[in-house]
Amino acid sequence: MNTKAVRASFKQQLIQFTADPQWIIPSIVAPFLFTAVMLMMYPEKSDGIVLQAILGGGVLGMWGNTLFASSFTLSYDRMNGTLDNILMSPTQLFDVIVGRSLWNTFIGLLNMLLVYIFAKLVFSAPITIADPVAFVVILTVTLLSLASIGLLFALAFVLSRRSYILTSILEYPIYVLSGAVVPITMLPEWSQPISMVLAPAWGVEALRASAIPGYETVFGFGMVGNALVCVGLMIVYIALAWFFMKKIVKNVIETGSFTRY
Amino acid sequence: MGCIGVVISSAVTYTRNKFQMVPLWLWLLQIVCTSFFSMFFFVILADYVSNPEVTVRYVVIGNVVQSMAATTLYAVSDLPGTEKHVGTLSPLMQTPANLFCVFLGMSILNIVAGLISSTLSLGYAQFVFGIDLTMANFLSVAVIVLLTVFSLTGFGMMIGSVGLRLRTSSIIANIVSYIGLLICGVNFPLSYLPEWVQAVASAFPLTYGVDAMRGAVDGANILDIGGDLLTMTILGLVYFIISLVMFRMFEKLARNNGSYEMF
Repeated sequence: MNTKAVRASFKQQLIQFTADPQWIIPSIVAPFLFTAVMLMMYPEKSDGIVLQAILGGGVLGMWGNTLFASSFTLSYDRMNGTLDNILMSPTQLFDVIVGRSLWNTFIGLLNMLLVYIFAKLVFSAPITIADPVAFVVILTVTLLSLASIGLLFALAFVLSRRSYILTSILEYPIYVLSGAVVPITMLPEWSQPISMVLAPAWGVEALRASAIPGYETVFGFGMVGNALVCVGLMIVYIALAWFFMKKIVKNVIETGSFTRY
Repeated sequence: MGCIGVVISSAVTYTRNKFQMVPLWLWLLQIVCTSFFSMFFFVILADYVSNPEVTVRYVVIGNVVQSMAATTLYAVSDLPGTEKHVGTLSPLMQTPANLFCVFLGMSILNIVAGLISSTLSLGYAQFVFGIDLTMANFLSVAVIVLLTVFSLTGFGMMIGSVGLRLRTSSIIANIVSYIGLLICGVNFPLSYLPEWVQAVASAFPLTYGVDAMRGAVDGANILDIGGDLLTMTILGLVYFIISLVMFRMFEKLARNNGSYEMF
């Protein structure tokens, strides 16, 4: 991996984030509104419930960021004709997307903090976190795991101009299947195996274990075990994304399909 | 060519272009899946929160109407911003065609999408989520769907006109389509909100659409929900008139300072 390219891509994403106000929607507005809707729906706002709503709103914001910045940016590249330039340069497309995804991770942390402050101030919600250090570490891991799913989605955006449909279809299922909105045990039985191969689902369980004293994780393995599985799955996603990205980039360069909009 | 001719021509061209970019089956798949998964999301949540006032039935009916906002309102408001983004607003403004009529024509496919989405959502309500619709007055339901989509289109045109002046209209379009979830009684009763928010909600056509739909699925006829329907129709007309004025105003401003090229 070319770290210089990753750093440059990270910096460029930061600049574009501040220059293009569209990013405010997935980063700030949507998570706040969804957190507010979730909190309004609960009849009581106990510690666990508020944490659940914050996690739900937070993951929603993170996933929105991932979709927008890792995937839709490629759509814009294609539309603006800059995907050609990226593919023609010696820098690997994978490095460019990784840089963008790392920026999303950073913004995701900020987003979660803002949702927390919002819940605390607007709903006067009582929120205590049992192990704040572990919570922040696992939150970062969970964010990175979402970004790694974004890398997989990015493959589709390189391959086809129609991939934005895929992301709009899969937006809500990821919120639900990650268990961030309601615990996985509340979901239909058929969906639980899908959750088990989603890294963020393990990350969210680890987050709950770090925040709620005595919390029994759905999958077992405890807080550390869940966090480790999250990391393991994330590595698998990154390896798959790296492998297929090479193949797909080679294919689109040979066929010239990346210029088609 | 008069406005009606421009609307028809614009609708045909936009539809052809759309299906050149995205095949019909994929466009339909997107509507089928997004309307289902967004409803599924709130059903799961409603089931989990165990709030006697926020039942699965309550959120399902709310989301049937919300599905029109997520498709029609968002897409219509985003049209001028998208044209600006892809650089075609400038050539459009150089034609003698009235911009309002051009964008109204483009909206027609998105109106159809809203109608399909709400019909499908009603199907999910009954066949997937087990909502009993045997008492429903389907004439009332059909009138509500048509009037809601009409008023949301007027509202969307008003929001979209801002795209002629500002850099993009998609931010406002996004906020408006999301905010309906929070303030229009889609997922929880309006009474949960502070009074000033309820006052804001009364300016949103979706609020009346949701309220009327709850009555219609319980068997209310058109006269029973006449108040909601009338208010929604008046709001829709008012928004269409405002959007016409705003299109003219922002078009003039954009021509004077060249902001239609600004992205």
